[in-house]
Amino acid sequence: MTTVSSILVAGAGQAAAVAVAALRDQGYGGRIAVVGDEAHAPYERPPLSKSVLAAVGAPEPAISVKDPDFFASQQVDLRLGTQITAIDPAARQATLSDGARLDYDYCLLATGGAARTLPAFPPSSPAVCYLRTLDDARALRGRLQPGTHIVVIGGGFLGLEIASTALSLGVEVSIVETAPRVLARVVPEAFSNWLQRRVELSGAKLHIGQAIADVWLSGSAQAASTIALSNGVQLEARLAAVAVGLSPNTQLARDAGLRIDTATGGILVDEHCRSSDPHIYAAGDCTSQIRAGWTAPLRLESWQNANEQARIAACAMAGRNTTAAAYPWFWTDQFDCNIQMLGLPQDGLEYIVRGSMDPAQAAPRFIMLGLLQGRPRHALAVNAGADLRALRPLLENALPIDPTRFCDEAVTVRAFAKAAQASAAAPN
Amino acid sequence: MNWIRIASVGQLEDDESLAIEVEGKQLALHKTDGELFVSDNICTHQYALLSDGFLEDGCIECPLHQAKFDLRTGRAMCAPATVDVQVYSVKTEGQDIFVGLP
Repeated sequence: MTTVSSILVAGAGQAAAVAVAALRDQGYGGRIAVVGDEAHAPYERPPLSKSVLAAVGAPEPAISVKDPDFFASQQVDLRLGTQITAIDPAARQATLSDGARLDYDYCLLATGGAARTLPAFPPSSPAVCYLRTLDDARALRGRLQPGTHIVVIGGGFLGLEIASTALSLGVEVSIVETAPRVLARVVPEAFSNWLQRRVELSGAKLHIGQAIADVWLSGSAQAASTIALSNGVQLEARLAAVAVGLSPNTQLARDAGLRIDTATGGILVDEHCRSSDPHIYAAGDCTSQIRAGWTAPLRLESWQNANEQARIAACAMAGRNTTAAAYPWFWTDQFDCNIQMLGLPQDGLEYIVRGSMDPAQAAPRFIMLGLLQGRPRHALAVNAGADLRALRPLLENALPIDPTRFCDEAVTVRAFAKAAQASAAAPN
Repeated sequence: MNWIRIASVGQLEDDESLAIEVEGKQLALHKTDGELFVSDNICTHQYALLSDGFLEDGCIECPLHQAKFDLRTGRAMCAPATVDVQVYSVKTEGQDIFVGLP
């Protein structure tokens, strides 16, 4: 085996920082360069739409993935405000936007993604904000003036988080979603209905199943723009906050001839996070990973996935054994609820509910479990994170459960989960 | 050390945590594998009560974002937490559980 002495990381986000730390933890002592186009050292993105956005007239929370002196103390060559413009896989060399060239033994693509843009809402317009970066969050925060009206385009996790935070700051909020319900791709209809009711009770106006028919953007941040919906409703607002998904940053990978998963648009990697070039790995939002137990490659936009794939790629590049990525887990904090999701929706799931789905409750608490042939594959927990954690082994191992017992609140979820594991382990 | 009675043995089962307020401090009493631990109750990552968390293998996991703390040392074991949680001495006398405050 050749000695690995130089690792190049493209991107400086969550996955990059975690990969660097994992490489050093694994005893890799060679050169590491991290190249990222943002001006900031790696930071966590989940708070951008929540605590960072809410920090009006208050100190911004610390969101660095690592301490400020981490990269220097670990002898990491961190090049911010710089992009890798090309990778030559045959020469194992990258070209940077400042003209520098860096050789690598292994390259990790942790390039993340960019906010998907809509032609009717150009990012350059003073009436439009997108949210992907810390700078985006700061710009949007400056526009959330109490008493003004904003329109959030997109009823996905990010759009709903922006709406929730804006409402908490005294901003009037309308949400437009073209699908017939919010979070349509990731949660069952009953959950969408519950959340929609909760959103409306919070004071936001929801316009679901509405296409955007026409847009007249104001040329100034002080004047109102008009957004016309397909049902004829016209919304007047100072700002359109657009959150309609993420485009994975795969240009470098495409130019380098790496395989791209056509279904998800991500860089295709194996269980070790290795791309179609054995010297190039990929981790985080930009990847589509082939995983045991899943029929199609998964491209997951989550904090957990960035961490897991970074860990796996780092172990593989350092020549260590890798362990499989943890079962997909995701959280969102919105409308006074901590909502957590384990696993992914799939066709044919039958959902059962434990607890009460009353949208008006101050602190609702319930769990929805999606079963396939009596085995849980997908779970949603509202303000019940510890219970969801107790259920995790049942989902990871697809253990059969008794739906009636799960829904019986006289038994704790912890006790239920333990009993289900014991009964699955017992010989027949 | 100042020992203060905070609970009785019968108040919590294994794998359970209890929120306790003592001398203006919000503490959590945990019982895992038959052993008792006391920690601060507020997660060091974001406002959440560790007494609502998940106990396993001598660690408490925060219910909000699965930050994990070793209850023997208070050490933050995984992201998103980077700051350790304060832990306290605990002792039992008969049916009474005491926390030792410095």
